Amino acid sequence: MSTELLKTSGLKTDEMIINMGPQHPATHGVLRLLLTLDGEFVKHCEPVIGHLHRAQEWQGQNRTWFQYQALIDRVDYLSGMFTSWALAKAAERIDGLKLPLRAEYMRVIVAEMNRISSHLLWLGTYLIDLGAMFGFPFYPFREREKLLDLFEAIAGQRMMFNYIRIGGVQREAPPGWFAKLKQFTQEFPDRVDEYEAIVTKNPIFLKRTKGVGILGKELAMEYGVTGPSLRAAGVNFDLRKFKPYSVYDQLDFEVPLGEGEGDTWDRYMCRVKEMRQSNEIIKQCLAKIPGGTSEELRERRRQCNSCGKDDCPNCGGDLRIMVKKQNAGLRIKAGEGFDAVESPRGILGCYIVSTGGDTAYRFKWRNPSFSNLSVLPALLVGHPIADIMAIFGSLDVILPDVDR
Amino acid sequence: MSEQQAPGKPAEVELEPGQFGQFLAEHGIPSRRLSDSSGVETIELEGKHLEQAVKRLRNSPETKLDFLVAVSGVEAADTFDSVYHLWSYSNQSELVIKVRVPKSDVPAGHLPMVPSIAPFWKAADWHERETYDLVGIRYVGHPYLRRILNPWDWEGHPLRRDYRQPVDALNDKSPGSFR
Repeated sequence: MSTELLKTSGLKTDEMIINMGPQHPATHGVLRLLLTLDGEFVKHCEPVIGHLHRAQEWQGQNRTWFQYQALIDRVDYLSGMFTSWALAKAAERIDGLKLPLRAEYMRVIVAEMNRISSHLLWLGTYLIDLGAMFGFPFYPFREREKLLDLFEAIAGQRMMFNYIRIGGVQREAPPGWFAKLKQFTQEFPDRVDEYEAIVTKNPIFLKRTKGVGILGKELAMEYGVTGPSLRAAGVNFDLRKFKPYSVYDQLDFEVPLGEGEGDTWDRYMCRVKEMRQSNEIIKQCLAKIPGGTSEELRERRRQCNSCGKDDCPNCGGDLRIMVKKQNAGLRIKAGEGFDAVESPRGILGCYIVSTGGDTAYRFKWRNPSFSNLSVLPALLVGHPIADIMAIFGSLDVILPDVDR
Repeated sequence: MSEQQAPGKPAEVELEPGQFGQFLAEHGIPSRRLSDSSGVETIELEGKHLEQAVKRLRNSPETKLDFLVAVSGVEAADTFDSVYHLWSYSNQSELVIKVRVPKSDVPAGHLPMVPSIAPFWKAADWHERETYDLVGIRYVGHPYLRRILNPWDWEGHPLRRDYRQPVDALNDKSPGSFR
């Protein structure tokens, strides 16, 4: 209303340059936005990043492969499984390793669990960003807590898992783990219904998100945006379907696409649907995993007294979780390669140049948040300052993932 | 940690041009095929042909390599490599482009120079800034080439092989030091 008055009354306004951040509570880390404002409206925006730069690439080049695996979960702390997976996948591609089927299924299960937990945290914090301080954020955290407990049981850690290793996964699930996960997958769709009942058609939420921050097809593709932010614009580009890796080609799931023009609400809807699809994927994996649950496998191994021979139908082949036990002397063949996985935020890639030594010669991370954040200035221009967090939050950027 | 040997020169064997090498040759852009990077076609381009080649590969309906995944910099044994990973949003093809600047061509105190593709492809903007910051490759024609991950007054380029930290942060006992 006031800006309308200014426009019509012929009053002259000056531009104002302000800093948003670096310690802004809604920036999910440390991001500084240098804003040029015209009254309430953004005229220009320059993100200043690098506050969380930990030289992950340099550290990788100065640590052995085995040491570095423990470190990379910290690149994106909400989806550590995916950073581990990208590294393992690129290294396996250079080395030509072929994984046992059980290891691949275990990877898909924990990765999809991680996708759900990452989206749940996004959902809770995004609602806080929009000002929903009435306690809704605790609902997604209730389900996330169950997933973190499952992660703790299988990997020993709640966030920095170091579970997916080069050549397989770290360890077999403890007794009862599969049953608990199965129970979670059965009750999870009802919980998503609960969130949707509160949020999806909420008039305040609709007012804040409908038609705000439109990220169209062309703009997204120009900036290399990936993940749900791209799919909300209607581009069907999901690495799990597009270039199926691991066992995704044997699983039946849909890639949710945005129905509108790619506004903030579409991005929200896309992520909610993705959670449901991830849940379906886990269900299918639990039914299909070779060897069944860990109790069933243990029972089978009792028959051959855990002989560990390659040709044993109970121990060898596809029932293993690791190609070969890895130790600190792990080396990767000389060569170079790039490989990527579809993380909750988009395409997470790792480019490795190896010379066959005990450390890699060069690491380069292609982080989805890095490319997704670069589109922010183009999205913000013309929006009022109150929409900045609505738009920034909807891109689901994790700042340690940007700065690594 | 050990000092590693840099990856040496690629073998001097002439390889048959692949799908994209042939496509570029048809449009009068010379390229040289390098040994594949984990099964993905890899070509070497001269810097002066880069812009033309990237525009062709991106816009032609036969290739449609319209997804720039990453721009990386590698300091090899005697060259600085700028590496471009191109994918497509609509088909499965992949291509790796390398622009190599021999170290002997870089005068002392100067940075190796590679033409920028950021003016016509926004996805390259931040990736080129990052490579400039960490590896020290100057992208000529970049609209806003300044450090992105390190502070603006940082000295040196941390992923260079000859890089040493300005101050030994762990053993710095000087009371005047801000660390």
